[in-house]
Amino acid sequence: MAKKCIAMLLAGGQGSRLYALTQNVAKPNVPFGGKYRIIDFPLSNCANSGIDTVGVLTQYRPQRLNSYIGNGQPWDLDVADGGVYILPPYQSAGEKGSWFSGTANAIYQNIGFIDSYDPENVLILSGDHIYKMDYDDMLRDHLAHDAACTISVLQVSMEEATRFGIMNVGEDGFISEFEEKPAHPKSDLASMGIYIFNWKKLRAYLIADENDPESSKDFGKNVIPAMLNAGEKLWPYRFDGYWRDVGTITSLWDANMDMLSTTLINLYDPSWPIGSRSPVCPPHVTGDEARIIHSIVTEGCEIYGHVENSVLSPNVRVDKNANVLYSVLMPGAVVEEGAVVEYAIIGENTVVGANAHVGAPPDGTDKWGVATCGPDIEIRSGAQVPSGAMIYTGEEV
Amino acid sequence: MKDYHGIIFAYSTENELRELVSVRNTAALPFCGRYRLIDFALSSLRNAGVFNVGIIMQKEYQSLLNHLGSGKPWDMSRRVGGLRILPPFGLPENHSGKYDGTVEALNAVSSYIKDIPQEHVILLKGNICANLDLDAAIELHESTDAPITAICSEHASEGRHHRCVLDENGFVEKMVYDRMNDCEGVPSLGGYIIHKNLLLQLMDMCKAANLFRFHKDAIATYLREGGKMNAYIHKGYAGTVSSVEAYYRINMDMLNAENRRSVFNPKRPVFTKMHEEVSTYYGEKAQSRNSLVADNCIIEGEIENCIVFSGARIAAGAKLRNCIVMDGCTVGEGCDLKCVIADKNVCFSENTVLTGAPGLPVVVPKNFKI
Repeated sequence: MAKKCIAMLLAGGQGSRLYALTQNVAKPNVPFGGKYRIIDFPLSNCANSGIDTVGVLTQYRPQRLNSYIGNGQPWDLDVADGGVYILPPYQSAGEKGSWFSGTANAIYQNIGFIDSYDPENVLILSGDHIYKMDYDDMLRDHLAHDAACTISVLQVSMEEATRFGIMNVGEDGFISEFEEKPAHPKSDLASMGIYIFNWKKLRAYLIADENDPESSKDFGKNVIPAMLNAGEKLWPYRFDGYWRDVGTITSLWDANMDMLSTTLINLYDPSWPIGSRSPVCPPHVTGDEARIIHSIVTEGCEIYGHVENSVLSPNVRVDKNANVLYSVLMPGAVVEEGAVVEYAIIGENTVVGANAHVGAPPDGTDKWGVATCGPDIEIRSGAQVPSGAMIYTGEEV
Repeated sequence: MKDYHGIIFAYSTENELRELVSVRNTAALPFCGRYRLIDFALSSLRNAGVFNVGIIMQKEYQSLLNHLGSGKPWDMSRRVGGLRILPPFGLPENHSGKYDGTVEALNAVSSYIKDIPQEHVILLKGNICANLDLDAAIELHESTDAPITAICSEHASEGRHHRCVLDENGFVEKMVYDRMNDCEGVPSLGGYIIHKNLLLQLMDMCKAANLFRFHKDAIATYLREGGKMNAYIHKGYAGTVSSVEAYYRINMDMLNAENRRSVFNPKRPVFTKMHEEVSTYYGEKAQSRNSLVADNCIIEGEIENCIVFSGARIAAGAKLRNCIVMDGCTVGEGCDLKCVIADKNVCFSENTVLTGAPGLPVVVPKNFKI
């Protein structure tokens, strides 16, 4: 059956700017906002937008991502004539096979997969953004303007514009120019890295791009400019909701803190549920001396100490007299008695020993940063982890 | 365990549960923040690898059906076997529609039982809160030549219950009925592992003699005639939900860490229907002490010794002590609630004061607005 639109989710990047957090897992699989992993957002957006076929392109440490996605059931993507598929690089008969060498090359290598669904349009997504978006609305806009490509754009401040790919728009409303991180931006419309392409057109451009030895095989750098040069119609789809790139430690921490405010992004809205594969555990427990203020807590947590302005994932334990402030605790993290964790990200199953101290409040200097501990680390009792520190799995602390 | 088949009795609605069972049967009672009572029997079977399970139900089963779905949460949505819902289908036409006893319930689905391909049947009650180690029970069952094993509990049971009196070899000598704790023997949890052929024999025997009761008629006759029965004694927590007071107490027992660890043993997880859910948010002035709180709640007020189900909204300035608040309840500003069981979607408007006692909790029925 031909599909109106299928989605391809680029989840292959290492996410090297998340350092210890992506030492063993791909960035889309990093826990986020208590119950979720980053990839839950685009997958849920797909399901909620009526897109039932999603290819997930992976190549960096895909094992855990594979088992997390499974058959797609948590996002209702386990359907008979579609579903969610993990697409690693592969080898064809008589060919050497190669890694995905760029975003465009990753899609190019999966032309066969896309063709098998015979879609009219293809939605290209990233696995490192936190947002709720109705792709169906974007698709309608795309079709209404008969565009070859529609790019989702967000209005940003002129200072911020220097950090994004910026779309300059002509008088007819179509995109006239694309500039990657311009020093002197002419527009404040930033690309969100979300594209809808007419598949027939994209297919031809991908093949041409692949045959161009000069190309770096990237959507933003090569494919979009090539389409602009050829005079294709590129339409900007304006999005004005919450959207964050969580590619760095600071932005990941910031976006987690945003989850404490329903005015920024309301996860309690039943009309747009974000699905996740949750572990099976009982409701969270609070002890006699527990104090939990302005925080989110979820199943399996045991809170006996003080938690403030923090985001807790399933099965986190905070012992008596422990203080957790302005921090993100990933699944299974433990903060033992008397320990202090502030302005920090604590990885999965990491134990902060009794009376240890991780992180420090902002001191106004440039040196300050969020302290980060990767997964499966034991921070010894009484140890001090300074602000901005990055502790890798396997390190002795 | 491929040689075992589970049957869960989920047809009863204990009168003593009053308003709580006016909208559902006992096995479908919401429990401990996110579960329904039947989850314990289902999960115990699932954790022992028993995926072929029939559930005997009779009336008011809409909410139970809704909870069970295809059986997916317990891995019982299978190509071969899996979960089977068993409404009455073998009753005589002039039947009152209420089972007089367990044997009658079994006889009502006798054609199903006859067709069970497995050799042994595990019978469990749907109103028990216990995380049973059925692997251990099966091991005991297979270690002797007795074709039946009674599932008993070490944990004392409140209220009247049946008890198994054991001989020096650990076999059940006799059963005594409707006793209290100070009596001889160990409390029975009403569950059995039984060879299918023996089960069919007992069902036939009872049908011919117009007897209905499994423990008092079938088992009593079997033991009197010299039949051998093992007793598997469950070591952890066990509670039978048979009245409002018992429901309240067993929920509150889960606030005790030792009881909770026995019931929610991570080695044998308790599975339940998955909800699309968000974390619980605690506000600037919230206080949560010695409580169990499910996901998707927004808590701005104070809770102490409470069990709060999913989707509850507790406004700033509200105080809840020793309460059970089910899914979707709203508690307005300035409310003061003590020993209250609020059924699903109850709404307490501002400054409501309601006080019960631990032995006599106030029950607010489903969807009530106060």
